[in-house]
Amino acid sequence: MEVNPIEKMADKLMSSENIEKLQLPEANNKAGLSQVDLGAKMVTHDLKVSYGKKAALLGVSLGIRENEVTSLIGPSGCGKSTYIRCLNRMNDTIDGCRVEGSVLLDGNDIYDVNRDVVQLRTKVGMVFQKPNPFPKSIYENVAYGPRIHGMAKHKDELDGIVMGSLERAGILDEVRDRLDSPGTSLSGGQQQRLCIARAIAVRPDVILMDEPCSALDPIATGRIEELITELKAQYTIVIVTHSMQQARRLSDKTAYFHLGSIVEYGPTEEIFENPLDDRTADYVLGRIG
Amino acid sequence: MTEPTLQMASVSSGLAKRHKAEKRFRFMALASVLLGLIFLAVLFINVLTSGADAIRQSKVRLDINLQTNDFGGSKNPDIQQLKNANYQGIIKRTVYKNFPDVKSRRDKRALYRLVSSGAAYELRGFVLDNPSKIGTSISIWLTASDDVDMIMKGKVSRTASSDLRRLSDQQMGWLEKLETEGNLETKFNWTLFSSGDSREPELAGVAAAMVGSLYSIIVCLIISFPLGVMAALYLESFAPKNRFTSFIEVNINNLAAVPSIVFGLLGLAVFLNFFELPRSAPLVGGMVLSLMTMPTIIIAGRVAIQGVPPSIKEAALAVGASPVQAVFHHVLPLAMPGVLTGTIIGTARALGETAPLLMIGMVAFVVDVPKSILDPATALPVQVYLWSDMPEKGFAERTSAAILVLLAFVGLMNLTAVLLRKKFEIRW
Repeated sequence: MEVNPIEKMADKLMSSENIEKLQLPEANNKAGLSQVDLGAKMVTHDLKVSYGKKAALLGVSLGIRENEVTSLIGPSGCGKSTYIRCLNRMNDTIDGCRVEGSVLLDGNDIYDVNRDVVQLRTKVGMVFQKPNPFPKSIYENVAYGPRIHGMAKHKDELDGIVMGSLERAGILDEVRDRLDSPGTSLSGGQQQRLCIARAIAVRPDVILMDEPCSALDPIATGRIEELITELKAQYTIVIVTHSMQQARRLSDKTAYFHLGSIVEYGPTEEIFENPLDDRTADYVLGRIG
Repeated sequence: MTEPTLQMASVSSGLAKRHKAEKRFRFMALASVLLGLIFLAVLFINVLTSGADAIRQSKVRLDINLQTNDFGGSKNPDIQQLKNANYQGIIKRTVYKNFPDVKSRRDKRALYRLVSSGAAYELRGFVLDNPSKIGTSISIWLTASDDVDMIMKGKVSRTASSDLRRLSDQQMGWLEKLETEGNLETKFNWTLFSSGDSREPELAGVAAAMVGSLYSIIVCLIISFPLGVMAALYLESFAPKNRFTSFIEVNINNLAAVPSIVFGLLGLAVFLNFFELPRSAPLVGGMVLSLMTMPTIIIAGRVAIQGVPPSIKEAALAVGASPVQAVFHHVLPLAMPGVLTGTIIGTARALGETAPLLMIGMVAFVVDVPKSILDPATALPVQVYLWSDMPEKGFAERTSAAILVLLAFVGLMNLTAVLLRKKFEIRW
């Protein structure tokens, strides 16, 4: 019987609970990557993804810590979005997509055959690149998740969840008196905050954001960034971004992706100030695009 | 310096050509739209003018004395006596009394022929509804024969020579006498909408065909709509993309192009001969039509589902909806307007379909209005076809009237579809 040595070791370490970091035997010998934070909220081990014959991720190991913002940066086509979509199994919906390796959430493999995807996605919410509110009322947009999961016993409780979520997403004051108007009638920035409210309404632990500001103007972007900083206290946030400044402003940790693998990972400061890899340096300093 | 000016010159000389081409195209496009509209208008005017007369029918007023002797002598006859009384005799007696100078047997028969052979049934129906009138004198409007009707509506000229008319000069005299006395008039033709087929134009109606069509379409919709929508949803949202599903896809597209009579043959072989379902029944008609409608619904449904932005489905999945919930809560409602359009196109086609119904025996001569989906029935297009084949002049206008009823049916269905689509439509 072949057991992945990393996993085996991980299990051991998790149970002992006294060691936080693990030396990976065959990890990329690049800076920051030899160590994967096993006490982290989400951990991926040697994650490989391919679409048909085309490989998109070539073995990514990363630990995402609780109550931190982790930015994934890198040129287009480097696998950031593929990676983030593995964290709540959104890639399942794509035909011909194969995922190898493991993704742990609180120490449990989310790709386990017994794992219920629905339950996983209530734990790991997602906000997309383009604001995609349902063509229903603002209230219904937020209430949909709690309702299908039976989170509220009666109307008052549901109202509470909806209002609370809108409040935390910082949009309640703007929509309080028009909860019945369609979500699509809001401006782009408001729509995106509505989508964040929808995501937090099902009380996730982790929120994945795939370029949440790329369709927004700087002012709306600023509001979303403020919001992300506020939400950090309660949630673990992973954000894919093309904006170097945004990654720098927002995140505690940054991972630089290149051609399907992580080149460098570490505290944001270090990645931007003292990148160890030349490719990272070129990218964050704007020498390549 | 010369180069840019040269280039400008070549652009502007081309510009004139482009503008011309644009104008030419617009003109031709407009012309083709107009031509289509003209054809439609000609068709409508033709059907309307020839069908409009069918909604009126000539009636003769008779003052009939319902003698108790006619009903076995009693003032309160039992139901059998009411049913079996000689109504034809009563009418004959009344007509002869109105024209006392008509003596010979031949003339009497010619006189009676002004009244429809169905008049006796009308009188019977009246008496059965009002048995208290026995022993009194009543004034009742009874249907005139189709020959009288044609004269009254001017379809046959009164002044034409007698060998071009079906009524003799003598009959024309009686007709004019009735008319001047106010006892012959055209009235609204309820028979057209309340009775089934008949050999006599004045007694023929589209009710049996209308009800038959309605039942068939309901059966057709009940079968093909859910099946079609389910198939479209499955193929679009759940089916793996492999050779087997693409094989199914190709076959569905082929199915939509199969001549309708083939479906009729299939219905005959499978539903009638193998499952031994009743012949001429709207149930089988609907089943055969649903075979035809389903591919249309599937194809239109798939296009509509493809048109729903995938981001909506992703959004639903991301808050933890299962794939089925995502599809039924979000994708299907958004695809509904398109699905309904496909359904209407399919059913409208099915409503006008004759060929498959020929095969399963819905071309029957059906006199009784069907009471259930298992009763023998016919359909509106079949009725149009049958009447268009009849020699009597009266059937010509009734054929047009049946076409109008069919068009009204289709129009009503389109209206329902538009309203439903409005209801489901969401502004983005």
